[in-house]
Amino acid sequence: MNTKSRTEILAAAALALVLLVFMPALNAWAPENSFFYVSNFTINVWGKYLAYGILAISVDLLWGYTGLLSLGQALFFSLGGYMIGMHLMLMIGKLGQYKSDLPDFLVFLGHWFLPAFWRPFASFAFAALMVFLIPMLLAKVFGYLAFRSRIKGVYFSILTQALTYGASLMFFRNDMLMGGNNGFTDFKFLLGGDVRSAATQRVLYICTGIALLAVYFGCRWLTRTKFGLVQRAIRDSETRVLFSGYSAANYKLFVFVVAAGIAALGGALYVPQVGIINPSEMTPDKSLEAVVWVAVGGRGTLFGPILGAILVNALKSWATQAIPDMWLILLGSLFLVVVLFLPQGIISIPSKVKGLLNRRKKPSDPEGRVLRPNAPLS
Amino acid sequence: MHRLFFHLILFLNFASLFVQASPSASMVEKAVLLEDKTDEQISLLQSLEPDLELINLLTLWKEGGIFLFETTDHQKIALRLDGAKDADEKQAAFYLNGSFPKDTSGKPLRLLASDLNAAETDSDLRTAMKSILDLAGLSSPDKSARLQAVETLGMEQDPARLPALRSRRQKETDAQILRSISEAIALAELKSSEPETVSNACRTLGDLGSIRSQDVLKAIAKTTGTPARSAQDALRKIEQHLVYVNTWGTLFRGLSLGSVLLVAALGLAVTFGLMGIINMAHGEMIAIGAYTTYVVQCIFGPGLELSPFGFHLSFPSLQATGWFYDSYFLFAIPLSFLTAACAGIALERCVIRFLYRRPLESLLATWGVSLVLQQLFRLTFGANNVQVASPSWLSGHWTLNDVSFGWNRIFVIGFALIIVFCVFQLLSRTPLGLLIRAVMQNRSMAACMGVRTERVNLLTFGLGSGLAGLAGAFLSQIGNVGPSLGQSYIVDAFMTVVVGGVGSLFGTIYSAFGIGMADQSLQQILGNPVLGKILVLAGIILFLQWRPSGLFSTRSRSIDN
Repeated sequence: MNTKSRTEILAAAALALVLLVFMPALNAWAPENSFFYVSNFTINVWGKYLAYGILAISVDLLWGYTGLLSLGQALFFSLGGYMIGMHLMLMIGKLGQYKSDLPDFLVFLGHWFLPAFWRPFASFAFAALMVFLIPMLLAKVFGYLAFRSRIKGVYFSILTQALTYGASLMFFRNDMLMGGNNGFTDFKFLLGGDVRSAATQRVLYICTGIALLAVYFGCRWLTRTKFGLVQRAIRDSETRVLFSGYSAANYKLFVFVVAAGIAALGGALYVPQVGIINPSEMTPDKSLEAVVWVAVGGRGTLFGPILGAILVNALKSWATQAIPDMWLILLGSLFLVVVLFLPQGIISIPSKVKGLLNRRKKPSDPEGRVLRPNAPLS
Repeated sequence: MHRLFFHLILFLNFASLFVQASPSASMVEKAVLLEDKTDEQISLLQSLEPDLELINLLTLWKEGGIFLFETTDHQKIALRLDGAKDADEKQAAFYLNGSFPKDTSGKPLRLLASDLNAAETDSDLRTAMKSILDLAGLSSPDKSARLQAVETLGMEQDPARLPALRSRRQKETDAQILRSISEAIALAELKSSEPETVSNACRTLGDLGSIRSQDVLKAIAKTTGTPARSAQDALRKIEQHLVYVNTWGTLFRGLSLGSVLLVAALGLAVTFGLMGIINMAHGEMIAIGAYTTYVVQCIFGPGLELSPFGFHLSFPSLQATGWFYDSYFLFAIPLSFLTAACAGIALERCVIRFLYRRPLESLLATWGVSLVLQQLFRLTFGANNVQVASPSWLSGHWTLNDVSFGWNRIFVIGFALIIVFCVFQLLSRTPLGLLIRAVMQNRSMAACMGVRTERVNLLTFGLGSGLAGLAGAFLSQIGNVGPSLGQSYIVDAFMTVVVGGVGSLFGTIYSAFGIGMADQSLQQILGNPVLGKILVLAGIILFLQWRPSGLFSTRSRSIDN
């Protein structure tokens, strides 16, 4: 293990310690007016950031490691959210506006009984299974079609964009029976706990953190296997991989499906914390926003995307409050600057600075360079 | 049209100060002064021969524009107010025959509308007025007014109207109105008590393919006897006619949607197809064109005040009216091309030229640009849609056999064909086109041969963006102009280019019309626009399975292209 990856592991561990242990602990036990108290709001916001972090890793796994810029990750993310949302909607029970067993929007649409595909979602285990199954199945079918006909590069991006766009159009429709325009909201219970209570939110936060950690280490392991090597080879020269006898399409399909599952996991953890899911979450723009996080953090690394997701979203939380008119301009410019001047993201800043310092040092110490080969002798 | 004539007449009155009193003016005045005696008013009005003056006065009366004024010797006179309002909001008063009363000091009388009582009308009187106006409309010199009058009379289904309609049929020369009169007569005859007449009327309606009589015919078809049978026959014929109308309507809408896609995608076919740049800000280039049209329109019209970021920007107003105002669009077309081309050139210089070798990153960078531009539009022009009024020669439509063709849609189709022709000529017949094609085929080889590739890139990108601006000018005529205008076209535009085959202008043409037709037909068949769109998207994904590089692929021997 080289020093660089050791630093990364250490940083990840430190961050995990702070986010997973200290923050919830302070939220639970610190007195409310003390300096160390972490408010419920903060926990909720950070829970959101961590869920975004999971989405960012899924984007990075495709874009940074395999060279596939997918604009469909927001679709998988919100599909995961929708699946858990269906379960949450059924858990509301008779507490809804219409005091009916059915979700409010179904009553509003004039339904008398639960549509058949809704029924199994009353079980949490089924919903949890569907969180992964549906997005991964969609990814499998779409990916199979796309990779089989060797759609790559920007064409892949445009096609995934069209897929996301089509899906959002579909979810906007009322007769899809998925809440239409308004989506799902007003959640009450999850596994017996009140979703709005601080304790449940804290548990959800910790779950999100653990999931992020698991995804991080899982992807770390995956990208370091021989599989990961082929994956990066595809990114760098797909034709050469093909000529070496590898079936690039199968590798890409596997990564695409895994990434869809990861994004869906993020979405499933995101929705109970935010309390709403609607079709505007699955527009191509949302996918591109996730790409911004990865680009800002640093693609081709696993720590960068998490950092990017947290930083950009913290910036967003601040900017949409302080300078709401300028936020989109800020986001756009940030993207431009990163793409043009910092292609490896902020995670590359330390090594860049080190490189600059070294370059400046070398000319000032010309003798050192000459002497170095002889150093062991002296 | 009536209103226009009316104003014209008032204007002439105002200018020449007198006009010969027509009999209808004095009779209307008399009717107005009868006040509450509705029956007498009606019989008086019905005795009049309808002429233009009567139409104008009755319209004015119905709208509450005729006032009762009590003179100092307690005599009531009927007046109307007109002309510019002065400082006290007062207007000049006129007798109904056009001459004007004077006050005690001998000056023209000026009155305040809110001080006066409008001559009242009750519902009986208004009904009578309406029928007089409808009948009068039959002899109106204006074609569309005549057509409208005939259609109103037809829907009334009143046998009492038959003589008027029949006498009009003798005089009428316009084929469309003749058809409408026959329809109106047949509709009125359906109310007849004789089964023979009703059957004949049903047959006529069936032959005419009268869509609006369907409901009435359905009611008759439910009864028994000969009329019911002929009504069923007629309904069947109308059904066939409807299929025909819908088919042609769908074809036309498909063509026009295809042209919209073509216009929107043509710029992209140049920047993406030829240069390989994924310009996600292409939609915003379209929006720039549309907003330019809006600004030009405002300059011709009432002027425009903008205050982006606290700067105050004021565009002067030309106060144009009539044909001069309508000509704004002719100025807007080249200006929107230029503005968008300049924006495109700036974008190329500042961002894209660094990214020629990194297409995925050009996608991301231009997406950033598109976000910034959208927000700039929002801050400059407001988050809501702005109103772009079509010039009068682009509004309205042309109806042929119940199929209506909007002028703006016809114009878009023609325009798309012209632009495609021009771009094709530019690329294949000019020295610049040669250079563009050379650079796009092999940038480094072209550079080795001494082509200034930087400049060619710049011009090509400017051309593509300018075409997007042109698209914006035209889309402003058929849709909303707002900050997110570009977003609604960008996915479709990319699809069009990809399906057509990147690098092939012909492919773009075929795919634009193909997608347009497919979209409109599916909408017609499924009766649901969104579902149609989703199916088209799914169809495109499947199509690319069959032909991964689009309809017309450019062949190449390079491995990584």
